[in-house]
Amino acid sequence: MTQVLAPQPEIRTGHDTVPMSRLIRAELRWIFRRPRTLIVLAMLAVIPVVIGVGLTLVDTNAGGGSGGGPGDGGGALLATAVNNGFVLPIAALVMTLTLLLPLAAAMAGADAIAGETAHGTLRGWLLTPVSRGRLLAVKSFGVATVALVTVLSMAVTGVITGLIINGTDSLFTISGTTLSLWDALGRILIAVAWVTLQLWAVGAVALAISACTEHPMLVVVSVLAGNIVFQILGYLDAVSWLHPFLLNQNWTSALTEVLQDPMASAQLGEGALRAACYIAIALSLAYARLTTRDG
Amino acid sequence: MTSTAIRGVDVSSEASTPSVPLAARTRGLRKVYRQAVAVDQVDLDVPEGAVLGMLGPNGSGKTTTIRMLLGLVRPTAGEVELLGHRMPDGAGHALPDVGALVEGPGFHPFLSGRDNLFRMAAAEPRLSSAGISGAVEAALERVGLSGAAHRRYKGYSLGMKQRLGLASALLVPRRMVVLDEPTNGLDPAGTREIRKIIGELHADGVTVLVSSHLLAEVEATCTHVAVLHEGSVVAQGELAELLESGSPALLVSTPDSAEAVEALREQRITSKLTPEGVRVDLTATTPPDVFAILVRADVRLYEATRARTGLEDLFARLTEHEPSTVDGTEGAS
Repeated sequence: MTQVLAPQPEIRTGHDTVPMSRLIRAELRWIFRRPRTLIVLAMLAVIPVVIGVGLTLVDTNAGGGSGGGPGDGGGALLATAVNNGFVLPIAALVMTLTLLLPLAAAMAGADAIAGETAHGTLRGWLLTPVSRGRLLAVKSFGVATVALVTVLSMAVTGVITGLIINGTDSLFTISGTTLSLWDALGRILIAVAWVTLQLWAVGAVALAISACTEHPMLVVVSVLAGNIVFQILGYLDAVSWLHPFLLNQNWTSALTEVLQDPMASAQLGEGALRAACYIAIALSLAYARLTTRDG
Repeated sequence: MTSTAIRGVDVSSEASTPSVPLAARTRGLRKVYRQAVAVDQVDLDVPEGAVLGMLGPNGSGKTTTIRMLLGLVRPTAGEVELLGHRMPDGAGHALPDVGALVEGPGFHPFLSGRDNLFRMAAAEPRLSSAGISGAVEAALERVGLSGAAHRRYKGYSLGMKQRLGLASALLVPRRMVVLDEPTNGLDPAGTREIRKIIGELHADGVTVLVSSHLLAEVEATCTHVAVLHEGSVVAQGELAELLESGSPALLVSTPDSAEAVEALREQRITSKLTPEGVRVDLTATTPPDVFAILVRADVRLYEATRARTGLEDLFARLTEHEPSTVDGTEGAS
């Protein structure tokens, strides 16, 4: 038995640390083999298809355009998405960004640290050892990847659905101009990048909370509650001084800039900057907590 | 070899510089959780190559001490040295050579046993990427889990989970292995296998630290013992020495038991009849004097041996008449 375990010189290293790429590969394999991740991913990817099919079936008075939605950005966008292959994927992103996408990011962040602590698996990596700084880096990378893959897959199904239903000559901007396929795809990619960045901010906050608890549910609930409280605060003019600091302040309006011709960028830029600040602050807090907490 | 110190029983050589190099040692270790003192003034020595059994009732601070030893928890006061590195700051250098199973096995329920080990192995600095697969299979083989390796961890029995935890501690040849309650949930056969693995590690010169509340297990596998009680080390040293250091006694085998007891009583030496023979208390006398008395009384002798107190006796003595000094209530001061 012992000779089975006898060290073969070529497989043993004298290193004290593992290459980062190996940790990241192991982390991604773990994330994307987890049934929960795959289910959430699949469900979100189906949403643009559902929206596209729903709009086509329901839309009897085609070309009506201003369908008089509930008045918020998402509803108005939906009306625009009728017979429009370009707006459809972006409308799907805007609508899910209010709740479902942040939920997915929060779940990934919750599982990353709190979930692992709850299973006692974080201790395993800490003991091998993986330093706490590297651990946070790997975890952040994992959450970021989940966010990117989710948004990308939604965009892909959205584009495909839009093109199948409406054809390639349906790529209208809300300013009334028509885009070439490549122009449209480029703008959708910009939207994907921007939404992903917002989700990274949500994920970073989730990681910070995740580092403070061993109950993943608590992380998801906190992020969700924060999201809703921020939305409410955003409606209150009495606290307008607070609005520039709310992460989801212009989530619905910023993406309409992508749909204009020529494309505007003021809100997109502001939103991106805000997300970057959230990421920096939240990851610093997560690092501070993770390095001092008992494993 | 090492200092044997039993507080309240025998204050022998409290050597500050042990002759044997230490794989791990703690000095004045203290950990306070909120109001409760979990561990206080723990000076633990783990000699290199020893199998040290850490004994103590539930809640005596075994796991907290181990967690501080491994750098998972930062001590409130005191210092920890593991394989020559100060912990927890030196964890990056010390831990690659340490395999550990702490507070039960922790694995992902939706992954198979093998995939869980692959995930652990990916983080092992001492394993090259090419060596991971071989190391995983070898570790599974060693703990007898090869047959169940493809099954999801979720469906594992308690014993299988424990074995998988052991496998991850043994992924790489280690200089030291720390096992916190390794036989929890194992059947007798599983316990025997763990004992065998500990024996193999010991034979390979690996230092082993086992915590347990099962005395028989410790007595069977360990060369050294540290007894914890209410957050403090009340005794530590070589197992054999500790066992003898209790109330010394001589076991006399004789066909004339009654005469022997009578003769000794006349000389005011306590003795009693036991199934193994006459047990003579040596606190007030020495073996030569006992022999002399017995021979003079014409008591015929087969043999006389030094009686070893069972670990159970020692443990009971150490953990029972100690006054409660470490208590949740006094943390308020």
